[in-house]
Amino acid sequence: MNGKRLLIVWLALMMLTLGVSLATAQDTQDVSIVHYYSSALGQESMTALFDSFMAANPQYRVVDNSAGHEDFKTQILVTIAGDNPPDLFSYWAGARTQFIVDAERLMPLTDFWNENSLDDIIPAGVRSAAVYNGEIYNIPMNVHVVGFFYNPEVMANAGITEMPTDWEGFLAMCDAILASGVAPIALGSMNRWPAQFWFDYMVSYTAGAEFRQQLMAGEVAYNSPEVIAAMETWKSLVDAGYFVADANAYDWTDAADQVANGEAAMTLMGTFITGYWNGNGLVPGEDYDFFPFPVINPELPVVTHGTVDGWAIPAAAANPEGAQALILHMLSPESQALWAQGQGALAAVNNVDTSIYSPVMQAAADYLAQVEFLSGYDLSTTPPMAEGGLTMFAQFMNDPAGYLTYLDEVEAVAVEVFEK
Amino acid sequence: MARTRYLWAAAFLALPLAVYIFFVILPLLSSFYYSLTDWNGFDVDYNYVGLENFQKMFTDRLFRNAIGNTVIWMALAIVVPTGAGLTLALTLHGRGRLSNFYKSLFYLPISLALAVIGQIWIWIYQPDWGLINTLLRAIGLDHLAVAWLARPQFALICVIIAWAWQQTALAMVIFLAGLTSIPTELIEAAEIDGANYGQRVRSVIIPLLAPASIVVIALAVINSLKSFDVLYVMTRGGPFHSSDNLAMLMYNQSFQSYYIGYGSAIAVVLFLITLVIIIFYFRQTAKVEQLYD
Repeated sequence: MNGKRLLIVWLALMMLTLGVSLATAQDTQDVSIVHYYSSALGQESMTALFDSFMAANPQYRVVDNSAGHEDFKTQILVTIAGDNPPDLFSYWAGARTQFIVDAERLMPLTDFWNENSLDDIIPAGVRSAAVYNGEIYNIPMNVHVVGFFYNPEVMANAGITEMPTDWEGFLAMCDAILASGVAPIALGSMNRWPAQFWFDYMVSYTAGAEFRQQLMAGEVAYNSPEVIAAMETWKSLVDAGYFVADANAYDWTDAADQVANGEAAMTLMGTFITGYWNGNGLVPGEDYDFFPFPVINPELPVVTHGTVDGWAIPAAAANPEGAQALILHMLSPESQALWAQGQGALAAVNNVDTSIYSPVMQAAADYLAQVEFLSGYDLSTTPPMAEGGLTMFAQFMNDPAGYLTYLDEVEAVAVEVFEK
Repeated sequence: MARTRYLWAAAFLALPLAVYIFFVILPLLSSFYYSLTDWNGFDVDYNYVGLENFQKMFTDRLFRNAIGNTVIWMALAIVVPTGAGLTLALTLHGRGRLSNFYKSLFYLPISLALAVIGQIWIWIYQPDWGLINTLLRAIGLDHLAVAWLARPQFALICVIIAWAWQQTALAMVIFLAGLTSIPTELIEAAEIDGANYGQRVRSVIIPLLAPASIVVIALAVINSLKSFDVLYVMTRGGPFHSSDNLAMLMYNQSFQSYYIGYGSAIAVVLFLITLVIIIFYFRQTAKVEQLYD
């Protein structure tokens, strides 16, 4: 074979390879999914759900692409912006979903919601997290409530038998714990977001939930007297020595370990901490328990902050039918029960047998049923604003004395973000 | 015949060239393009804003901070890996079998990914059970055992030390290669002339290591400019941007704040700085080559 023939054969082989690749890419029976449940427990439960879905729907094959919590935020941006999105992805309800909805990158799911009568199984309070610009875009999978998770043994050693419901009681409890030789509060703000729950409750319980919503929308200033007062309340706790030192050196799981090991009494965290502790062999109600954030100003409405995790379908998804079938499977009582138990979450649907909840999760569920639900800070304001706020919380935990400067700096971010 | 050879060459070069254009040239050009827009990464619509993103850099304290940190990193990149690598190379050069063992030992960090190195050093810096604080407490210096990566005054230096650990190994290998190429007659002649070890190093060895030194310094500076992975693993630019370099600020602005336009402008600045250094490096290399020719 001479050189020219060899060249022709080589080019033909290349074109054949390209053709085969394109033909393979036409297969749309795969349901590709990207999610952030990449921890051992989350991935295990999610894989079980995918397996049961594929067993019941053999026409579909789930292509699972999980990513670490922080890496996910970048990955999903790149895939959606690059017009190479998955068919389905997990996403936090709130401002982050709003951001993608406004960019017209998500598929409206209002018809899907109505055709499957999801109003019958998803409570109105949870449904509100699904609606953006009048349409449904994010189908809730679970709810997490943020409150205090504590070590009962440490509390008992400090002589505390009843958890406080008001601020005076909370301060007295912290003093008693401190006197017993243990740090009252663990916080792992290495990744910044765990500190946001403190800011959320401080603002909601000193300035009110309505003011907080205005702050999230850029309608009031970060260096306003209300936010200054909220930060001063938070600062008084740090100054009193209630927090474990060097919060920025630890992740939230480190803080959870400090509570579990008895180095600290409690931590302000979402109910997902129960999944972490259960996975470490701790027994709910015995090794750890829950109480809601105590009311600071009784004249203001009682709320709970937290997270609704949901499912969204990109506007450019290749297989939206497969994605919708998978969502329906996720919302079945069996799937929801499996997920709630494995993940340490409250089910998004109301037809789950609540006996599956541990006493701790039941307490969180009862609390959620009584109060208004508000998403956490970084899910309540736009991503660039949240970036500024989260940085401020980490600054504050490093050196609370500079809180006025930090508020001025974050207000400068707000001016740019909200074009004030 | 010649035409067929050209066709063959074109056929074999076409694929790598296409890959290079697709994965390097096009993203580079698109970065230039997006740096002139206010694109947030999601929206289909965005606006042309001219040089607004570049103007913003002059008033952005995060950018000033990142530039400062990048300069610190570059300065330390010139001094630390070069100095330590040269010292190790001089110590280990031509010392028999034991030196080969130590060479392998010091070479080891090069075989590790920077992400792995970052994780190893996170453990070394860990405040409760990390190597450094354990040692400090063992010798009674408890007050010096701090949360290294959580303190803004230490975080950047701690990351640079971890990064320099690998760069030192690279510098050592290049200097060892340079030492091997120095004719032994020159060193022996200096010795016969009465030069002691210090004088031989200063007046004979180091000048003859000029080509190797240029490679080491240029690589260290360029690697410092593009360093991202070790920083991402260890601090993500934190706490609160105190360890941001330009690459990390570019990432945070693009993918955390969704300012793709501004992030692209930072990428363009980083590219231009790197380009200047690379041009300087090639010119210096050419000068040295001319000198030796």
